[in-house]
Amino acid sequence: MSKRKISRRSFLGEASCAAIGSTAFLSSFLNLGMINTLSARPHIISNTNDYKAMVCILLAGGADTYNVIVPTESTEYADYQATRGDLALDKDATDPTQLLDLDYDDNGRTFAVHAGMDKVRDMFDGGHLSFLANIGTLVEPIANKTEFDAGIKKLPLGLYSHSDQIMHWQTSVPQSRSAVGVGGRMADILHDMNTISNVSMNISLAGKNRFQTGNQYQEYSISNSTTAANIGFDGFPSYWGDSGILNDAKNNAISNIVEQEYGNIFEQTMGSLTKQTGESIEIFEAAFANIVPLNTTFSDNNLSNDLKKIAETISVKSHLGTNRQIFFVTIGGWDHHDNVLGNQNVMLPIVSNALSEFNDALTEIGMHNDVVTFTISDFARTLTSNGNGSDHAWGGNQMIMGGPVNGGQIFGDFPSLALDGNDLNLSSRGRILPTTSVDEFYAEIALWFGVSPNDLDYILPNLCNFYSSSNCTQPPSMDYSPLGMFA
Amino acid sequence: MTHFISRCCCYAILLLCSATIISQPDTIVIGFGGYDGVFITASGDSEESNPEKSINQDGYLPNLNAAARFLSQASLGYSYTDTETVTLMGIEDWITDQMENKPMPFTLKDKVIEYRQFVRDSINDQEAGSSSRMWDYAWWQYHMTSTDALRQKTAHALSEIIVVSEKSPFGNNGLALSDYYDILLNNAFGNFRDIMQDVTYHASMGVYLTYLNNPKADTTINQYPDENYARECMQLFTIGLYELNNDGTRILDNEGDPIATYDNEDILEFSKIFTGLTWADRDQFGRGAYKDTSYLAEMVMWNDYHEPGVKNLLNGFQVPDRDPIDGDADISDALDNLFNHPNVGPFISTLLIQRMVTSNPSADYIGRVATSFNDNGQGIRGDMKAVLRAILLDPVAKACDSGDDPQFGKLREPFLRYIQINKAFNASTTSGDFRNDMDYIYQFIEQKPLASPSVFNFYQMDYQPLGPVNDADLFAPEFQITNSQTISGWIDGLYRFVVGENLADEYDLYSGEPNENYDDEVTTIDLTTEMTMTNDDELHILVDRLNLLLAQGRLTQPTIEKIITAITNFDNEDEDDMELRVKLAIYLVMSSPEYLINR
Repeated sequence: MSKRKISRRSFLGEASCAAIGSTAFLSSFLNLGMINTLSARPHIISNTNDYKAMVCILLAGGADTYNVIVPTESTEYADYQATRGDLALDKDATDPTQLLDLDYDDNGRTFAVHAGMDKVRDMFDGGHLSFLANIGTLVEPIANKTEFDAGIKKLPLGLYSHSDQIMHWQTSVPQSRSAVGVGGRMADILHDMNTISNVSMNISLAGKNRFQTGNQYQEYSISNSTTAANIGFDGFPSYWGDSGILNDAKNNAISNIVEQEYGNIFEQTMGSLTKQTGESIEIFEAAFANIVPLNTTFSDNNLSNDLKKIAETISVKSHLGTNRQIFFVTIGGWDHHDNVLGNQNVMLPIVSNALSEFNDALTEIGMHNDVVTFTISDFARTLTSNGNGSDHAWGGNQMIMGGPVNGGQIFGDFPSLALDGNDLNLSSRGRILPTTSVDEFYAEIALWFGVSPNDLDYILPNLCNFYSSSNCTQPPSMDYSPLGMFA
Repeated sequence: MTHFISRCCCYAILLLCSATIISQPDTIVIGFGGYDGVFITASGDSEESNPEKSINQDGYLPNLNAAARFLSQASLGYSYTDTETVTLMGIEDWITDQMENKPMPFTLKDKVIEYRQFVRDSINDQEAGSSSRMWDYAWWQYHMTSTDALRQKTAHALSEIIVVSEKSPFGNNGLALSDYYDILLNNAFGNFRDIMQDVTYHASMGVYLTYLNNPKADTTINQYPDENYARECMQLFTIGLYELNNDGTRILDNEGDPIATYDNEDILEFSKIFTGLTWADRDQFGRGAYKDTSYLAEMVMWNDYHEPGVKNLLNGFQVPDRDPIDGDADISDALDNLFNHPNVGPFISTLLIQRMVTSNPSADYIGRVATSFNDNGQGIRGDMKAVLRAILLDPVAKACDSGDDPQFGKLREPFLRYIQINKAFNASTTSGDFRNDMDYIYQFIEQKPLASPSVFNFYQMDYQPLGPVNDADLFAPEFQITNSQTISGWIDGLYRFVVGENLADEYDLYSGEPNENYDDEVTTIDLTTEMTMTNDDELHILVDRLNLLLAQGRLTQPTIEKIITAITNFDNEDEDDMELRVKLAIYLVMSSPEYLINR
């Protein structure tokens, strides 16, 4: 395709729009991220010299994860095959292979992954990656269908609804609709560990999201094409006379305008967002100038490019003055009401390869033991087919990867996939009640990340429902580890 | 400090200052309707004024600022001339004129077919299909050349409620996109039930929400109907998640909890309804799209593939066990069941108010609009004309001082800001035909028509940004796509669009199309009026005009002064200098929070 060339006055050529920073933003710094104040509480912050990062990958749309990891023990596989019908992957198929066996045997229970995930299989077998089985959003434990049907247990709002479940996975407070998420609340607690206060702990490759929104802090968004050269606002071309002065005039005007005190709450919000953006841009511009190209080769797709940008960002962590970072990435398109098999054949290799590339890159920059990466998704899908797709359900399977993680494990309980005689199956469509809560999962990650057990109730208000049936006044023990994900 | 008339928003009996913005008539508040800020002037300087006519209308004539404010609610963008027109006609007559006298001049579909034929003839291939670029050009051509501003605004709002997106299997099919959008344009002043009908049978929706080729259950192989449309049609397009009072507040049960409008059993029942539909141009059920025109015909029902039997729908309504099976009758019953649900009025009214007026309408406001939805005064439910009048003529929308409420207003949608540049400064091409590849706009602002990332639109109605909005437990949907990337994207885009003279990207319609074909289709804006106001001692007039035209007079005095100070740094010696001063003024106005928030 050819782009129409538009005649312009020479001094306004497109190529001349070099990005510049604005000293006005920095000099007028006022941390407007501190909009609320976290109620006074004694924080116990672990030693502040180490570095840790977590990377949350949202598979938006509700990935059909009962075709990501599949039971292969003969009885369990027979249930899987009967229930899933035309959606079942054939463990005996060889041309092409549909499932790859995992190096795993739990008293005869064996599993395989989708054939497009050879890299995931390799990392599982190599001890870099594990699965979480039948995890989902819960307010409190629900033992079985009988308890569910009795209506005595609190349920997540909007079960099986995208907008609600994708929110609950990010907030972990599924009895309400909240703007504030788990990663944001962690940042509220741990932000002081970072030395440059106007660089957010939470960096998003996916724009605004609930996971990274705290009561005090919110995400800073970059894109996988952000570089030191293109970050910031376009400036006037340098070959203009006095372009520096003119740029200052322009940028000062923006900066002065947005720092006004506004009465209207939307103007306040817009002003402070614009101001924070300008402030952070300068620091990122300086930090990104230090990025050294990685040797690790990444595929050319958005997820791989996002993870590459995260690896690069981690590589200049000292320039961002950060000891703790939370990254957020989204890969959408998992709402496979139609053609789930064909779509997964394309999409699961993208995820698998990207995870492996990221794992390699972290090793390359010496951060393999300091970063934990995990997937989340709205929900898993109905076990039964709607023709050639599947519909919205609840409990599903996720992955966690990284040096600190006990690799080659399946945490939680992988459920029976039989439709009948299965007290976790809630519907003729095959909707599985989760047996591991998102709270338990995040709690272990938070403790690894340096959150004190005393602060877990701030980050995960429902957590006590899962470790104490009666007494929510006590924090969990220091070695609280319901899933055993970390060494 | 001189006060300029454009900065106050008011309605007056006498028309005043239609052309000049520097006159300063004396004003006397007469307290029309109890609203502050309604003035009667002691000196009208226009011969056009007609006090009797304006008094005999429902309301009073708006001044320029009130007219601009109204048009920011009722249109996707407007010029200074449009603003003057509203001051002459009055709001009520303008709405009536839009509804009665502004038919669609052409359909987007026909425009795409025209482009497609042009391509076919040019490359000697009568099988060549349509493309997403043809959709972009058709949408833009329509919106730059037709005068049905209220229809355009309404259709755009609907496109963000009843969502299909080019991020889908038909993303490069210009016919699938344009023909769907034509439903929204065509029914903007029609009945909501017709919108439900047309949307449900449109193949674009059938593909987008995967119920085209959705067969009845076969329990022997554990196969059940697709639930996708059943769920999203209820959650997003008609009734929402919770039982609502007419004023949009939630009905609560005895424990004080909201009541779900449907449960998963209801989803299963509705999923049976939307079975049996497929392409009109295929002779078998379950086949793929035949060609790009497959999307143009309504989907057809194959009763053999429709789920038979009784379906228990909402509020005790039962679809009978029809013999013979009649899927179309089932769908009609089900859509009636949803359409008549008491939630539709408050739910759809709230969404439309959010798109047009304010992010957090009061219960009273929602109630008034929902009442018009329920009954247009002649016993008809779902009359869009009544709903639109109720939204736009409501005291909350009209009264200028409602914008002084610190919780009133909304973030302007990024794409509407872009349209506003084009409309405000009379964007034109030499030929009168436009080409605008809107992907260029999207890369800066992440928004363009029918391009949302999912059926949940670019943003959801209950999004709460951190800070004072969340603290007050209020909503600000458009902030969901406002982050450091899109904030700098907007400011950079503004620079390119306005200062950098790259307002739109014109491309070839087929590979190898010579540039000469569209030399006359380069979009430019007209700043001649503004360029007469660039002397240092006139800059306040320039900024005041932009304040009126773009920001409806909401710029604060400090902002105005900062903009003037910044511009004064630039030379004003020749035409290029004057133009740059104007462009910088536009750039700074449109970067400011006072502009970005529409109140």
